[in-house]
Amino acid sequence: MIRKDAIIKILEHVGKNPIVAANGFISRDLFNSGDKDSNFYMIGSMGLASSISLGISLENPKKRIFVFDGDGNILMNLGSLTTIGSESPKNLIHIVFDNSKHESTGGQPTNSSLIHLEQIAKVSKYKAFKVKNIPELEKILKKIKNMKGPIFILVKIDKSENLSNRVDLLPTEIKERFTKFLKR
Amino acid sequence: MNEISQRKFFDYLHKKGIKQFLGVPDSTMKHFIDQGLKKKKILITTREEEAIGIGSGMSLSGSKCVIFMQNAGFANSISTITSLVQMYRIPLIFLIGWRGYLSNDAPEHLHIGKIQKELLNLVNLKSKIVCDDDWKKQCDWALKNLVKKNSCALIIRREFND
Repeated sequence: MIRKDAIIKILEHVGKNPIVAANGFISRDLFNSGDKDSNFYMIGSMGLASSISLGISLENPKKRIFVFDGDGNILMNLGSLTTIGSESPKNLIHIVFDNSKHESTGGQPTNSSLIHLEQIAKVSKYKAFKVKNIPELEKILKKIKNMKGPIFILVKIDKSENLSNRVDLLPTEIKERFTKFLKR
Repeated sequence: MNEISQRKFFDYLHKKGIKQFLGVPDSTMKHFIDQGLKKKKILITTREEEAIGIGSGMSLSGSKCVIFMQNAGFANSISTITSLVQMYRIPLIFLIGWRGYLSNDAPEHLHIGKIQKELLNLVNLKSKIVCDDDWKKQCDWALKNLVKKNSCALIIRREFND
Protein backbone atom coordinates (compact mmCIF):
# COMPACT_ATOMS: atom_id res chain seq x y z
CA MET A 1 0.00 0.00 0.00
CA ILE A 2 1.34 3.42 -0.87
CA ARG A 3 0.52 6.56 1.10
CA LYS A 4 -1.60 8.17 -1.58
CA ASP A 5 -3.87 5.12 -1.91
CA ALA A 6 -4.25 4.99 1.86
CA ILE A 7 -5.10 8.71 1.91
CA ILE A 8 -7.73 8.29 -0.82
CA LYS A 9 -9.33 5.49 1.21
CA ILE A 10 -9.29 7.53 4.43
CA LEU A 11 -10.83 10.56 2.67
CA GLU A 12 -13.93 8.44 2.02
CA HIS A 13 -14.41 8.36 5.81
CA VAL A 14 -13.42 11.89 6.83
CA GLY A 15 -16.58 13.66 5.63
CA LYS A 16 -16.72 17.35 6.51
CA ASN A 17 -14.16 17.08 9.28
CA PRO A 18 -10.82 18.90 9.37
CA ILE A 19 -7.50 17.28 8.53
CA VAL A 20 -4.11 18.50 9.72
CA ALA A 21 -1.41 17.10 7.44
CA ALA A 22 2.24 16.90 8.44
CA ASN A 23 4.90 18.52 6.29
CA GLY A 24 6.62 16.81 3.37
CA PHE A 25 5.02 14.20 1.16
CA ILE A 26 2.02 13.75 3.47
CA SER A 27 0.74 17.28 2.80
CA ARG A 28 1.62 16.94 -0.88
CA ASP A 29 -0.27 13.66 -1.26
CA LEU A 30 -3.32 15.06 0.52
CA PHE A 31 -3.24 18.24 -1.58
CA ASN A 32 -3.17 16.18 -4.76
CA SER A 33 -5.78 13.66 -3.58
CA GLY A 34 -8.50 16.03 -2.44
CA ASP A 35 -7.78 19.66 -1.72
CA LYS A 36 -10.35 21.27 0.58
CA ASP A 37 -10.65 24.34 2.82
CA SER A 38 -10.82 21.94 5.74
CA ASN A 39 -7.26 20.71 5.12
CA PHE A 40 -4.47 22.40 7.05
CA TYR A 41 -1.25 21.69 5.20
CA MET A 42 1.90 22.05 7.23
CA ILE A 43 4.79 23.52 5.39
CA GLY A 44 7.69 23.11 7.77
CA SER A 45 7.37 22.71 11.56
CA MET A 46 8.10 19.01 11.40
CA GLY A 47 6.65 17.11 14.33
CA LEU A 48 3.91 19.53 15.28
CA ALA A 49 0.87 18.18 13.36
CA SER A 50 -0.23 16.17 16.40
CA SER A 51 0.06 19.19 18.71
CA ILE A 52 -1.78 21.58 16.39
CA SER A 53 -4.52 18.96 16.10
CA LEU A 54 -4.76 18.63 19.87
CA GLY A 55 -5.37 22.39 20.11
CA ILE A 56 -8.04 22.21 17.42
CA SER A 57 -9.77 19.19 18.95
CA LEU A 58 -9.95 20.76 22.41
CA GLU A 59 -11.60 23.87 20.95
CA ASN A 60 -13.92 22.08 18.50
CA PRO A 61 -15.56 19.26 20.45
CA LYS A 62 -18.29 18.79 17.83
CA LYS A 63 -15.85 18.05 15.01
CA ARG A 64 -13.67 14.98 14.59
CA ILE A 65 -10.09 16.05 13.90
CA PHE A 66 -7.94 13.84 11.67
CA VAL A 67 -4.14 14.10 11.88
CA PHE A 68 -2.14 12.78 8.96
CA ASP A 69 1.24 12.20 10.54
CA GLY A 70 4.41 10.33 9.61
CA ASP A 71 6.82 8.11 11.52
CA GLY A 72 9.68 10.61 11.28
CA ASN A 73 7.29 13.37 12.29
CA ILE A 74 5.86 11.73 15.40
CA LEU A 75 9.30 10.54 16.48
CA MET A 76 10.27 14.22 16.66
CA ASN A 77 7.41 14.95 19.06
CA LEU A 78 6.84 11.72 20.97
CA GLY A 79 6.04 13.76 24.05
CA SER A 80 2.86 14.91 22.32
CA LEU A 81 1.50 11.36 22.62
CA THR A 82 1.62 11.67 26.41
CA THR A 83 0.01 15.12 26.31
CA ILE A 84 -2.75 13.88 24.00
CA GLY A 85 -3.25 10.78 26.15
CA SER A 86 -3.51 12.96 29.25
CA GLU A 87 -5.93 15.46 27.73
CA SER A 88 -7.76 12.54 26.11
CA PRO A 89 -9.73 14.36 23.39
CA LYS A 90 -12.58 12.09 22.27
CA ASN A 91 -12.57 13.68 18.82
CA LEU A 92 -8.95 13.16 17.77
CA ILE A 93 -7.99 10.54 15.20
CA HIS A 94 -4.25 10.28 14.79
CA ILE A 95 -3.17 8.46 11.65
CA VAL A 96 0.53 7.76 11.21
CA PHE A 97 1.78 6.73 7.78
CA ASP A 98 4.78 4.60 8.59
CA ASN A 99 7.36 3.77 5.95
CA SER A 100 10.20 3.64 8.52
CA LYS A 101 11.87 6.30 6.43
CA HIS A 102 12.46 9.99 6.09
CA GLU A 103 11.19 9.67 2.54
CA SER A 104 11.27 13.32 1.50
CA THR A 105 14.92 13.80 2.47
CA GLY A 106 16.19 10.77 0.55
CA GLY A 107 14.86 7.69 2.32
CA GLN A 108 17.09 7.66 5.40
CA PRO A 109 15.88 5.16 8.02
CA THR A 110 13.85 5.96 11.13
CA ASN A 111 13.74 3.52 14.04
CA SER A 112 10.02 2.77 13.64
CA SER A 113 10.93 -0.62 12.16
CA LEU A 114 12.42 -1.57 15.55
CA ILE A 115 10.19 0.33 17.96
CA HIS A 116 6.46 -0.14 17.56
CA LEU A 117 4.81 3.25 17.56
CA GLU A 118 1.29 1.84 18.05
CA GLN A 119 2.46 0.31 21.33
CA ILE A 120 3.77 3.67 22.52
CA ALA A 121 0.37 5.12 21.61
CA LYS A 122 -1.40 2.38 23.50
CA VAL A 123 0.45 2.99 26.77
CA SER A 124 -0.23 6.69 26.21
CA LYS A 125 -3.94 5.84 26.53
CA TYR A 126 -4.90 5.93 22.88
CA LYS A 127 -7.05 3.25 21.32
CA ALA A 128 -4.39 2.00 18.94
CA PHE A 129 -4.56 -0.02 15.74
CA LYS A 130 -2.12 -1.14 13.08
CA VAL A 131 -2.97 -1.90 9.45
CA LYS A 132 -0.89 -3.21 6.58
CA ASN A 133 -3.19 -3.09 3.56
CA ILE A 134 -6.27 -1.33 2.19
CA PRO A 135 -8.85 -3.95 3.33
CA GLU A 136 -7.49 -3.80 6.90
CA LEU A 137 -7.54 0.00 6.77
CA GLU A 138 -11.13 0.01 5.53
CA LYS A 139 -12.15 -2.36 8.33
CA ILE A 140 -10.61 -0.16 11.04
CA LEU A 141 -12.08 3.02 9.57
CA LYS A 142 -15.54 1.45 9.80
CA LYS A 143 -14.83 0.18 13.30
CA ILE A 144 -13.85 3.61 14.66
CA LYS A 145 -16.82 5.42 13.12
CA ASN A 146 -18.56 5.92 16.46
CA MET A 147 -15.62 5.15 18.72
CA LYS A 148 -14.44 7.75 21.23
CA GLY A 149 -10.85 8.86 20.89
CA PRO A 150 -8.08 9.52 21.06
CA ILE A 151 -7.60 6.93 18.35
CA PHE A 152 -4.26 6.00 16.78
CA ILE A 153 -3.95 4.14 13.49
CA LEU A 154 -0.52 3.08 12.31
CA VAL A 155 -0.69 2.61 8.55
CA LYS A 156 2.29 0.66 7.24
CA ILE A 157 3.12 1.96 3.77
CA ASP A 158 5.60 1.28 0.99
CA LYS A 159 7.74 3.77 -0.84
CA SER A 160 5.82 5.78 -3.46
CA GLU A 161 7.20 5.77 -6.99
CA ASN A 162 5.51 8.97 -8.12
CA LEU A 163 5.95 12.29 -6.41
CA SER A 164 2.92 14.47 -5.70
CA ASN A 165 3.19 18.14 -6.57
CA ARG A 166 4.01 20.73 -3.94
CA VAL A 167 1.20 22.53 -2.15
CA ASP A 168 0.97 25.69 -4.21
CA LEU A 169 -1.05 27.75 -1.74
CA LEU A 170 0.43 30.52 0.37
CA PRO A 171 0.67 29.60 4.06
CA THR A 172 -1.57 32.55 4.95
CA GLU A 173 -4.11 31.34 2.37
CA ILE A 174 -4.11 27.87 3.92
CA LYS A 175 -4.69 29.46 7.32
CA GLU A 176 -7.42 31.88 6.25
CA ARG A 177 -9.57 29.31 4.55
CA PHE A 178 -9.01 26.79 7.35
CA THR A 179 -10.03 29.24 10.09
CA LYS A 180 -13.10 30.22 8.07
CA PHE A 181 -14.01 26.55 7.79
CA LEU A 182 -13.65 26.06 11.57
CA LYS A 183 -15.94 29.04 12.24
CA ARG A 184 -18.78 27.56 10.19
CA MET B 1 8.19 40.47 39.63
CA ASN B 2 6.78 39.80 43.09
CA GLU B 3 4.19 37.19 43.93
CA ILE B 4 1.23 39.57 44.22
CA SER B 5 1.99 41.21 40.84
CA GLN B 6 2.41 37.84 39.15
CA ARG B 7 -0.97 36.64 40.40
CA LYS B 8 -2.67 39.88 39.35
CA PHE B 9 -0.87 39.69 35.99
CA PHE B 10 -2.37 36.24 35.37
CA ASP B 11 -5.85 37.27 36.50
CA TYR B 12 -5.78 40.33 34.26
CA LEU B 13 -4.85 38.39 31.11
CA HIS B 14 -7.48 35.79 31.93
CA LYS B 15 -10.13 38.44 32.50
CA LYS B 16 -9.21 40.08 29.20
CA GLY B 17 -10.05 36.93 27.27
CA ILE B 18 -6.97 34.69 27.27
CA LYS B 19 -8.57 31.29 27.31
CA GLN B 20 -5.58 29.02 27.74
CA PHE B 21 -2.03 29.32 29.07
CA LEU B 22 0.36 26.66 27.82
CA GLY B 23 4.02 25.98 28.13
CA VAL B 24 6.98 24.69 30.05
CA PRO B 25 7.35 26.10 33.58
CA ASP B 26 10.01 28.55 34.63
CA SER B 27 10.69 29.45 38.27
CA THR B 28 10.90 33.11 37.21
CA MET B 29 7.11 33.09 36.77
CA LYS B 30 6.10 30.38 39.22
CA HIS B 31 3.42 32.47 40.95
CA PHE B 32 1.88 33.38 37.60
CA ILE B 33 1.69 29.69 36.70
CA ASP B 34 0.44 28.76 40.16
CA GLN B 35 -2.40 31.25 39.82
CA GLY B 36 -3.32 29.65 36.50
CA LEU B 37 -3.17 26.15 37.93
CA LYS B 38 -5.62 27.21 40.64
CA LYS B 39 -7.99 28.45 37.93
CA LYS B 40 -7.41 25.27 35.88
CA LYS B 41 -6.25 27.28 32.89
CA ILE B 42 -2.74 25.85 32.53
CA LEU B 43 -1.61 23.12 30.17
CA ILE B 44 1.95 21.98 30.86
CA THR B 45 3.60 20.54 27.76
CA THR B 46 6.67 18.38 27.28
CA ARG B 47 8.50 20.97 25.16
CA GLU B 48 8.02 24.62 24.29
CA GLU B 49 7.42 23.85 20.61
CA GLU B 50 4.65 21.49 21.57
CA ALA B 51 2.99 24.34 23.47
CA ILE B 52 3.30 26.57 20.41
CA GLY B 53 1.73 23.82 18.29
CA ILE B 54 -1.25 23.31 20.62
CA GLY B 55 -1.64 27.08 21.05
CA SER B 56 -1.58 27.49 17.27
CA GLY B 57 -4.40 24.95 16.94
CA MET B 58 -6.40 26.88 19.53
CA SER B 59 -5.63 30.18 17.84
CA LEU B 60 -6.78 28.77 14.46
CA SER B 61 -10.01 27.93 16.29
CA GLY B 62 -10.41 31.54 17.41
CA SER B 63 -9.16 31.22 21.01
CA LYS B 64 -6.56 33.53 22.53
CA CYS B 65 -3.55 31.86 24.13
CA VAL B 66 -0.41 32.68 26.07
CA ILE B 67 2.63 30.44 25.60
CA PHE B 68 5.03 30.56 28.55
CA MET B 69 8.62 29.39 28.70
CA GLN B 70 12.12 30.14 29.91
CA ASN B 71 14.48 31.86 27.48
CA ALA B 72 16.22 28.50 26.95
CA GLY B 73 12.87 27.33 25.56
CA PHE B 74 12.62 30.41 23.40
CA ALA B 75 15.95 29.43 21.85
CA ASN B 76 14.55 25.92 21.28
CA SER B 77 11.50 27.39 19.57
CA ILE B 78 13.02 29.76 17.04
CA SER B 79 12.31 27.58 14.00
CA THR B 80 8.71 27.02 15.10
CA ILE B 81 8.23 30.74 15.64
CA THR B 82 9.58 31.63 12.20
CA SER B 83 8.10 28.76 10.16
CA LEU B 84 4.75 28.28 11.89
CA VAL B 85 3.71 31.29 13.96
CA GLN B 86 5.11 33.98 11.67
CA MET B 87 4.81 32.22 8.30
CA TYR B 88 1.09 31.46 8.79
CA ARG B 89 0.54 34.64 10.84
CA ILE B 90 -0.89 32.87 13.86
CA PRO B 91 -1.37 35.38 16.69
CA LEU B 92 0.04 34.28 20.07
CA ILE B 93 1.42 36.02 23.15
CA PHE B 94 4.70 34.58 24.40
CA LEU B 95 5.71 35.01 28.03
CA ILE B 96 9.44 34.44 28.34
CA GLY B 97 11.42 34.18 31.56
CA TRP B 98 14.70 36.05 31.35
CA ARG B 99 17.27 33.79 32.97
CA GLY B 100 20.75 35.20 33.01
CA TYR B 101 19.39 38.68 33.65
CA LEU B 102 21.53 38.74 36.79
CA SER B 103 25.20 38.24 36.00
CA ASN B 104 25.52 35.75 38.86
CA ASP B 105 22.71 33.45 37.66
CA ALA B 106 23.56 29.76 37.07
CA PRO B 107 26.14 29.28 34.31
CA GLU B 108 23.86 27.64 31.74
CA HIS B 109 21.76 30.82 31.59
CA LEU B 110 24.47 33.42 31.19
CA HIS B 111 25.09 33.37 27.46
CA ILE B 112 21.47 33.06 26.37
CA GLY B 113 20.58 35.76 28.90
CA LYS B 114 23.08 38.03 27.22
CA ILE B 115 21.96 37.45 23.62
CA GLN B 116 18.23 37.19 24.29
CA LYS B 117 17.43 40.78 23.34
CA GLU B 118 19.33 40.51 20.05
CA LEU B 119 17.76 37.14 19.35
CA LEU B 120 14.25 38.59 19.79
CA ASN B 121 15.18 41.39 17.38
CA LEU B 122 16.61 38.98 14.81
CA VAL B 123 13.50 36.82 14.97
CA ASN B 124 11.48 40.01 14.64
CA LEU B 125 9.36 39.21 17.66
CA LYS B 126 8.34 42.47 19.32
CA SER B 127 8.71 42.41 23.08
CA LYS B 128 8.19 44.39 26.27
CA ILE B 129 9.50 43.79 29.77
CA VAL B 130 6.83 43.42 32.46
CA CYS B 131 7.53 44.90 35.90
CA ASP B 132 5.63 45.25 39.18
CA ASP B 133 4.52 48.78 38.36
CA ASP B 134 3.68 48.55 34.65
CA TRP B 135 2.52 45.01 33.86
CA LYS B 136 -1.00 46.16 33.06
CA LYS B 137 0.21 48.57 30.40
CA GLN B 138 2.35 45.85 28.79
CA CYS B 139 -0.55 43.38 28.89
CA ASP B 140 -2.73 45.88 27.05
CA TRP B 141 0.02 46.30 24.47
CA ALA B 142 0.23 42.52 23.95
CA LEU B 143 -3.56 42.12 23.77
CA LYS B 144 -3.73 44.88 21.15
CA ASN B 145 -1.15 42.96 19.11
CA LEU B 146 -3.33 39.86 19.24
CA VAL B 147 -6.30 41.81 17.92
CA LYS B 148 -4.11 42.97 15.03
CA LYS B 149 -3.21 39.28 14.42
CA ASN B 150 0.40 39.86 15.46
CA SER B 151 2.47 37.72 17.79
CA CYS B 152 4.55 39.38 20.48
CA ALA B 153 6.43 38.59 23.67
CA LEU B 154 6.31 39.73 27.26
CA ILE B 155 9.57 39.29 29.12
CA ILE B 156 9.75 38.66 32.85
CA ARG B 157 13.14 39.17 34.46
CA ARG B 158 14.62 36.75 36.97
CA GLU B 159 15.65 39.21 39.68
CA PHE B 160 16.58 36.68 42.35
CA ASN B 161 18.86 33.71 42.80
CA ASP B 162 18.03 30.63 44.84
